[in-house]
Amino acid sequence: MKRILLSGLIAGCILFILSYGGLFVAVKFFPESFVEYNNPLFNSDGSRDVLFYLHAFIISFALAWFWDRFKELFKGSFIFRGLEFGFVYSMVALLPVMWITFSALDITLTMVLSWFFYGLIQAIVTGLIFAKINP
Amino acid sequence: MKNRTLLFSIFSFLLLAFQNQTYKPNMKHWVIIKNCSLKVGGSTNVNKFNCVIANYANPDTITFYKNTEKGSLKLKGSIELNVQNFDCHHPVMTADLRKTLKAKVFPKLVIRFISLDKYPLFNDQSNAIKGIVAIELAGVTKRFEVNYRFVSNGTKSLILVGSRQVNFSDFNIIPPRKLGGMIKTNNELKVEFTLSMKVID
Repeated sequence: MKRILLSGLIAGCILFILSYGGLFVAVKFFPESFVEYNNPLFNSDGSRDVLFYLHAFIISFALAWFWDRFKELFKGSFIFRGLEFGFVYSMVALLPVMWITFSALDITLTMVLSWFFYGLIQAIVTGLIFAKINP
Repeated sequence: MKNRTLLFSIFSFLLLAFQNQTYKPNMKHWVIIKNCSLKVGGSTNVNKFNCVIANYANPDTITFYKNTEKGSLKLKGSIELNVQNFDCHHPVMTADLRKTLKAKVFPKLVIRFISLDKYPLFNDQSNAIKGIVAIELAGVTKRFEVNYRFVSNGTKSLILVGSRQVNFSDFNIIPPRKLGGMIKTNNELKVEFTLSMKVID
């Protein structure tokens, strides 16, 4: 349990910096890609900002538990294990969620694809961290 | 003698009362005719937006009371615009602006004309005047000094263009912010209204 919490916390901190840092840089250098976010579907009064920024830790702790439970199934070098872990998570969890999101909400395909790849990269990064610190 | 004095007093009172009742300040009426619009321009950290309510054509009347104190003209009249008619030329931006302006709760944007520095000169092709308006938006009414341009269209008709920078916060509206504040709308908005009017005496 302690191992799960510690690896989750470490991955959460790294993911927080990479995810929101990456998002900040993307908004700065590719602003036109974010025009569609001026959509009433998205919360606009700042009341859920804390929840938004907690996402890095939520996904890290969830994946830390998932890794600890199934890590024996991922074989090979830590890079290969991390990549496979990220791919498995994306296929099992992300793809169906993105599918239903796109089918139900008035959002663009570009937007939903960017979320998918954002989640895939997050899962690969956490997979690499877990494979290194909790092999 | 007593009766005469009483009769004279009553007559004088009635005369004064009648004079007061029939006295009217020098009034002019302007009727809004066609091609009126309201433009709102703003920006976010990822784009700019220009929204418009076009083709406002309610036959509203603006009344001028000339020769008031300090040489300014008192105005009476207003225009009422439907916030749902805003078009930002981008469906997502349009929907977001309507939500931000609380269109469902406060469907009307009202501009009340309060005063004008001076009466526009019709022989002048274009002249700049300042005036006061009260803007009611999202349930909040606030007075602003507006810069007007009057473009004369002949002796009896003119186009009035009023412009002013306002803030979302003037109307207790929080500028929208998305993705934890990564995408932010700036507080400032440029408002410009164009009214085509005909003078009726």
